[in-house]
Amino acid sequence: MRSTYFPGQDNELRARVGDLSRRTLLGALGIGAVGATVGAWPRLTGTDIPGRNSTALNVAILGTAADAAARQALVDEFTSLHPDIPVRIQAIQGADWRDFFSKILTMVAAGDPPDVVYVATEGAQLFAEKLAEPLDAYLTRDAADIQEYFQDVHPSLIEAFMYRGSLYQLPLDWNAANMYLNTSALERAGLSRPADDWTHEDFTATMRAMKSTTDGSFTPYYWTNRLFGGVVPWLYANDTSFLTEEKAAGGDWFWDRFYASDPTRAQRSGGYLWEAPNAEAPRVVETFDYLRELVAEGLGVRPEGGGGNALVGLFASSRIGATPAGGYWVQGLHEAGMGADDFDVQFFPRWRTQRHQFGAAGYAIMRTAKDKDAAWEWVKFCASKPAMELAFPTPNTTPTRRSMVNQSLYSDTGPEHWKVFYDTLDRFPTSGPIPAPPQQAAVETALMKNVSVAVSGSSAQVRSAMGSLQRDLELALRSTP
Amino acid sequence: MSTPTLKNPPTTTAAPTALSRPAARRQRSMAERLIAPLFLAPTVIGMAIFTIVPILGSILLAFFRWDIISAPEFVGFSNFADIVSDPTVRVSFLNTIVFVVVAVTLQLGISMALAVAIQGRMPNWLRVFFRSAFFFPLILSAASVSIFMGYLFNEQFGVVNWLLSLVGIPAVPWLTTSGGAAAVVVLVYVWQNFGFSFLLFIGGLASIPKELLEASALDGATGWRQFVNVTLPLLSPTVLVASVMAIISALQVFDQPYVLTRGGPGDSTRTAVMVIFESAFQRLEFGRASAIGLVLMMLIMAITALQFRLSRRFVFYQ
Repeated sequence: MRSTYFPGQDNELRARVGDLSRRTLLGALGIGAVGATVGAWPRLTGTDIPGRNSTALNVAILGTAADAAARQALVDEFTSLHPDIPVRIQAIQGADWRDFFSKILTMVAAGDPPDVVYVATEGAQLFAEKLAEPLDAYLTRDAADIQEYFQDVHPSLIEAFMYRGSLYQLPLDWNAANMYLNTSALERAGLSRPADDWTHEDFTATMRAMKSTTDGSFTPYYWTNRLFGGVVPWLYANDTSFLTEEKAAGGDWFWDRFYASDPTRAQRSGGYLWEAPNAEAPRVVETFDYLRELVAEGLGVRPEGGGGNALVGLFASSRIGATPAGGYWVQGLHEAGMGADDFDVQFFPRWRTQRHQFGAAGYAIMRTAKDKDAAWEWVKFCASKPAMELAFPTPNTTPTRRSMVNQSLYSDTGPEHWKVFYDTLDRFPTSGPIPAPPQQAAVETALMKNVSVAVSGSSAQVRSAMGSLQRDLELALRSTP
Repeated sequence: MSTPTLKNPPTTTAAPTALSRPAARRQRSMAERLIAPLFLAPTVIGMAIFTIVPILGSILLAFFRWDIISAPEFVGFSNFADIVSDPTVRVSFLNTIVFVVVAVTLQLGISMALAVAIQGRMPNWLRVFFRSAFFFPLILSAASVSIFMGYLFNEQFGVVNWLLSLVGIPAVPWLTTSGGAAAVVVLVYVWQNFGFSFLLFIGGLASIPKELLEASALDGATGWRQFVNVTLPLLSPTVLVASVMAIISALQVFDQPYVLTRGGPGDSTRTAVMVIFESAFQRLEFGRASAIGLVLMMLIMAITALQFRLSRRFVFYQ
């Protein structure tokens, strides 16, 4: 047998390995396979997945490991107050909120859902419908503790997280689609900052003036194709939307308890409902046609999908005159080298109304959370002022607490008119959230695909694209969930 | 190892001091029968767990409505009826087929031309450099490449438009018009994937006997004529393998259109796999996604079968 294995080999080699019979070799391989299986068992069974089978409160956020590390101070402070509740921050990367929610759903499908998830307006109704626990019982129980939070937060932000009469999240940060203006572009055009009540026609005139005083590498108006900051702020300003907007009944238990004396109490409801497409409404067509004309005249770009990652760099290098964004942009522009006077911010232009679009985010407790009481303690802690000051030390978003949006937050970065950020809600209390029904991802896909077509051709193409959007939205709203 | 011939075979009444010969043969034969499955077992088990079971699960899921969160509900063929009546699904399949035709033609054409080109006279280090350079894009992440290409082809600040502006060509809306977006998606895909076909063709060209080429040259066939009449027929088995692999890969294109255009403008760059992703992870319709996946799998199988059938006429084995 041995000579078969080593024909022609020298005797030394044969002597060295000659004792290794086929049976021994197979045995060794078998032992190796068993050893490898035993060694890899935690990986094979998924028990080594961070957070699985852990008793710690698993908190999922959209971001990187660095974002999770940045919240360590928050975790440490919480742990000092609640040493019996260990917390683990799980950063989940995603290109946008839609990506993030997909990954959370995948975790749910894998049987490893987080206990608490940081959810933006885009996913608020998806979570409320399918995944999140209402906070009603906790709010009623701890009303005295949480009252101070609601006194500091505008009710419009809270209403965005009401769903069919129940509250699912306490919003911690938010942003409206205000208009950022490049100061040097305004100066080149011989203009000053527009008035608070400027109209869409004033806006067009401003863009034309900017264009006439610059070369071809400059774009007066840059916008992105997505639910926040794309076509929707213009639709809201024109007192319409691509989805019908209604308000659910209910929620009085909450408003009467926490906002009874608020001047806008009467307009508060059990939450928003977007249940039918409205893409072919005349005002929607009119709004799209206005944007098409901006593009055709070279005043605005054909919008690309996505979050506009390059936008900060373009704006900071003065290649863009104006773009819709919220307070989250300030820190980025500062880090990109813009001085406090190099940019400013103004309300979104008035059309039929000056209603603004906003988005917000806060923690939602999952229905599958191991310990919902512990999860509520985390949610309540994060809404406290000391915790929010730890969470939002720089103006990379707008805190929902009015008292935190102050001169000291913007002293190093600008803009001069930082008050615009919170004044948006006070001056225009009918401002509404991103229209995000439970089928938000399908709705956003339908919108994005038709916006680019609508604004890239003739006026007739707008009507055809709106017909297509109407059909796509009907399909999207029919889909699960 | 041949068994020596026995001059005096033992009788059946011989003392059983050892296993009788037929018994030993039976035992060896059983061991040999066991050894093959034993060696095959890891692969078979791996394929069963990670390929066969998911495929069967996916086929089963196509007949259910399931949103991950709630219990699956049997819906018969309604997922298939739904995808047949959905214009977006139809457009995405049509886009995919057009994409495959254009991208695979370019991929095979470019890779074959480059493979032939670097067989020519050049220093060996240069040949090694070209081989590495052409293969390099394949090892990059498709998502990263697509993000990078998105910047290059941006209408306002992209390098491509800047270069065009130097020669007086106005900015091209690469990613925001249907034609431009489709062209960029094809370009990025081909740039990243031609390296694999290129390697196959390098191997195929190296296996062509030099004597045949020399003989054909002596008979007066050189250059293009030699390539068409000698090299290409002898390369046809490689062309078959490369085209089968390229078509299967192109039918599953996802990363480039998803990152570059998200399927837009309109549905102009939406592909079949994008619709599967959107159905599953955006609309939470996993049954519908499985049904689309099943249709795509059948399309891939049909095209591959057709290729092998056609290969009987066009592929020449030495």
